[in-house]
Amino acid sequence: MKIRSRDLRILCIQYAQALIITVILGGILIRAQGESPTEALKYILEGAVGSPTAIANTLRWATPCMFTGAAVTLAFKSGIMNCGIQGQVYTGALIAAIIGYALPMPKFLHMPICILAAGIVGMLYALIPALMKLYLKVDELITTLMLCFVATYLTEYIVIWMIIGEKVDATRSMANTSPNILETAEIPKLIQGTSTSYGLFLGVAVLIIISLVYRHTVIGYEMKQMGENLSFSRAGGVNTSKMFLGVFLISGFIAGLCGGVEVTGSYGRFNINFSGNIGWDGIMIARIAGNNPLSVIAVSLIWGALKAGSMQMERMTSLNRLSVNIIQMLFVLFVAIDYEKLIAEFNRRKATAKFKRQEEMKC
Amino acid sequence: MPDRTEYILELEGICKHFGNLTANDHISFKVRRGSVHAIIGENGAGKSTLMSILTCIKKQDSGRIIMNGKAVDFHSPKEASESGIGMVYQEFMLYKGMTVAENIIMGCERTDAGFLNMKKNIKKVEEICDSYDFRLPLKSRIDELPVSVLQQVEIVKVLYREAQLIIFDEPTSVLTPQGVRGLFKAMRELTGKGKTILFITHKLKEVLEIADHITVLKDGRVTADMKNENVSERELAKLMVGREVLYDIRRKKNRIGREVLLVKDLTVKDRKGILRLKKASFSVHSGEIVGIAGVAGAGQKELGEAIVGITRPEPGSEILLCGEPVGHMSIGERRKRGLGYVPQNRIKDGVNLKGSIWENTMMGYHLEHGRKQGFLIDFKDVSSFARAVVEDYSVKIQDISDRAFELSGGNIQKLIVGREMLQGKSFLIIEDPTRGIDVGAIELIRKKIAALSESGVGILLISHELSEVIQLSDRILVAYDKHIIEPEDSSQLTEEELGLLMTGGGQDENKIS
Repeated sequence: MKIRSRDLRILCIQYAQALIITVILGGILIRAQGESPTEALKYILEGAVGSPTAIANTLRWATPCMFTGAAVTLAFKSGIMNCGIQGQVYTGALIAAIIGYALPMPKFLHMPICILAAGIVGMLYALIPALMKLYLKVDELITTLMLCFVATYLTEYIVIWMIIGEKVDATRSMANTSPNILETAEIPKLIQGTSTSYGLFLGVAVLIIISLVYRHTVIGYEMKQMGENLSFSRAGGVNTSKMFLGVFLISGFIAGLCGGVEVTGSYGRFNINFSGNIGWDGIMIARIAGNNPLSVIAVSLIWGALKAGSMQMERMTSLNRLSVNIIQMLFVLFVAIDYEKLIAEFNRRKATAKFKRQEEMKC
Repeated sequence: MPDRTEYILELEGICKHFGNLTANDHISFKVRRGSVHAIIGENGAGKSTLMSILTCIKKQDSGRIIMNGKAVDFHSPKEASESGIGMVYQEFMLYKGMTVAENIIMGCERTDAGFLNMKKNIKKVEEICDSYDFRLPLKSRIDELPVSVLQQVEIVKVLYREAQLIIFDEPTSVLTPQGVRGLFKAMRELTGKGKTILFITHKLKEVLEIADHITVLKDGRVTADMKNENVSERELAKLMVGREVLYDIRRKKNRIGREVLLVKDLTVKDRKGILRLKKASFSVHSGEIVGIAGVAGAGQKELGEAIVGITRPEPGSEILLCGEPVGHMSIGERRKRGLGYVPQNRIKDGVNLKGSIWENTMMGYHLEHGRKQGFLIDFKDVSSFARAVVEDYSVKIQDISDRAFELSGGNIQKLIVGREMLQGKSFLIIEDPTRGIDVGAIELIRKKIAALSESGVGILLISHELSEVIQLSDRILVAYDKHIIEPEDSSQLTEEELGLLMTGGGQDENKIS
């Protein structure tokens, strides 16, 4: 019901330490490439929060992170290893792009239908591994991972051979993307002249809803218990198969929404393999946020800031954006350390040492 | 051959701490070669810790271990085993899919120029079996064999590793009274051939029967170290617990009411399709405790799982809860119809260690209570229920937001039992309610079970602790080889007679002998 002060302290130590170690290692990394770490940091900050455009960029990149972070948090918290976010995003994005350019509709209908369809297709794509687990007992970790590749290449195939292929003359110049979506399908921009859309608020809303579900509803309670001890909740009367299917599908739905929002809010079309990292980012963000939906919002903003900032850094220095990626990964690595166990082990050793000293004094 | 010192093992001032808890506090005693040396103590007295130090699974904080007159300092369990310490664990360390011979040899294979010579290895196992008079089906697979045979496999495994000192950790808890006879015979055989036995137990009768020497542990200390001469059970109990314990729960005959559980022709197969229970039929009435006795693996586990709804029974089976067929229902639906369940494996099925106390007490309760508007958690209701469980069952916690992993085994069990008992269920399945917990908790739980049945609840008690079944039950059913049988006058049976039934001996045979 409440976070106890001890838990909070450990949490703070965890993030502070991870941050410090990452900053040091990141500095060394940048220095090794012959650039000044402070200079690089300056450009990152400039690109992330230095101007209204920079802030818009940060928000733009934070938006997909919120969706994928939410999809992963939901699944992982219930003990479902949905590592197929990537595939669910791609299939959802493609359907949104197709409906967006091919089916003219009134303005108030078109955009919501695109996004909803994306969610539903993402959900259907998650249904495959869910059913394989329930009926064939195939581990969802494997199936979702494999289906990521299937989705990446399948969407590529559909775009090149079925969409571009049809009207190859007209669109030869814009290879590897679907046609632009109609204006009626676009999400209104939050900040004009940037690619930041109101999709951001949808992401925040999804995370707030998830948080409320976990805190206040019986079904959220069951989901959490199932993730923490499956056979305990089964013996306690939770219908775990139903719950598994439900959570898996909603996770897929949110991932699909991500694809829909990316296409209708930012890209305006489906680019082949438009973001090879989007699903994995979600897994890392959920990990850093400790599967807490509200922390996902904060971490997503940091993630977006780093992405926007690293692009600026790339433009202004000889450094590569990949350096920032490496630093991000390092941060995940350090946050993943189980500090609670380490502290317990440390206390145990201290107590043992103290006891030994007392023994020696007695002798 | 090592020196023939009088004592094979001497412990000097062994200490072990876990944080603030002192598990072993300056433990010293000597074990005479060729004797049966019993170490007794309640759960939590430090027996297991001491044994894991001896086998080098844990390292002592201070103190010396002396074997064959020389101080030893093991660095790995393997070193301990090579120096002649062998352990027969309570939970057998055997691989189910492999044969007896393979299990015995594994990890200690003798090879010819790097190649495994199975024939040579098996010959060696056969020699051991012959010389100690064990008859083992070496080619059978482990999962086809009864528990008493598995224990012999464990013993031969230890002998194969040329152990001189053999530790038996609560070996009799899985055996019938007849099985215990066989084990003691084997122990005598072993000491007769010069092996030494450390016998860890909390069963006093057995200690008095077999041990040459007794060391009593309490709260991590040695409270007595004596020869087994002119000692009484009462004295030992006092030394072990520090006060006189009487698990005497007076049960008056309750008024037996309506039928709360009826099981008809219940047939259960496990996941691999192996038949585990065949056409079991019986009933439980309100106000009645029906006990099920049986050696492990006789089908009682599957019986419990089928009634709760964890496994689906075969077609043709009928389960009626308060007169309503529930065979097709989910666990949740059965719980809503008055079923309560205290699972055998409390850590796996009974509790969420990562969760808080209130989250743990809420499980099952949440199906019908603790809701607002049908889907919101009613925190007031949920926390008052948690407090009720904690108070009524004296679970030692500071706050209901404490996490469950901070609790001891006894407190966890009290929490589970309390949660299931306070929900006003009409029928409860209780499996091994007092396994591995402290005396205080055992007393409390047994009293609560008796009180619950007085209040008109029907209880099915499935326990491996025979004395518990006899003490609490109005009727006793016996699980034997996939069948559930009901002996005549079952409440009058002694442990010995029940033991015979559990291993397939009929009541009549028993009377003749």
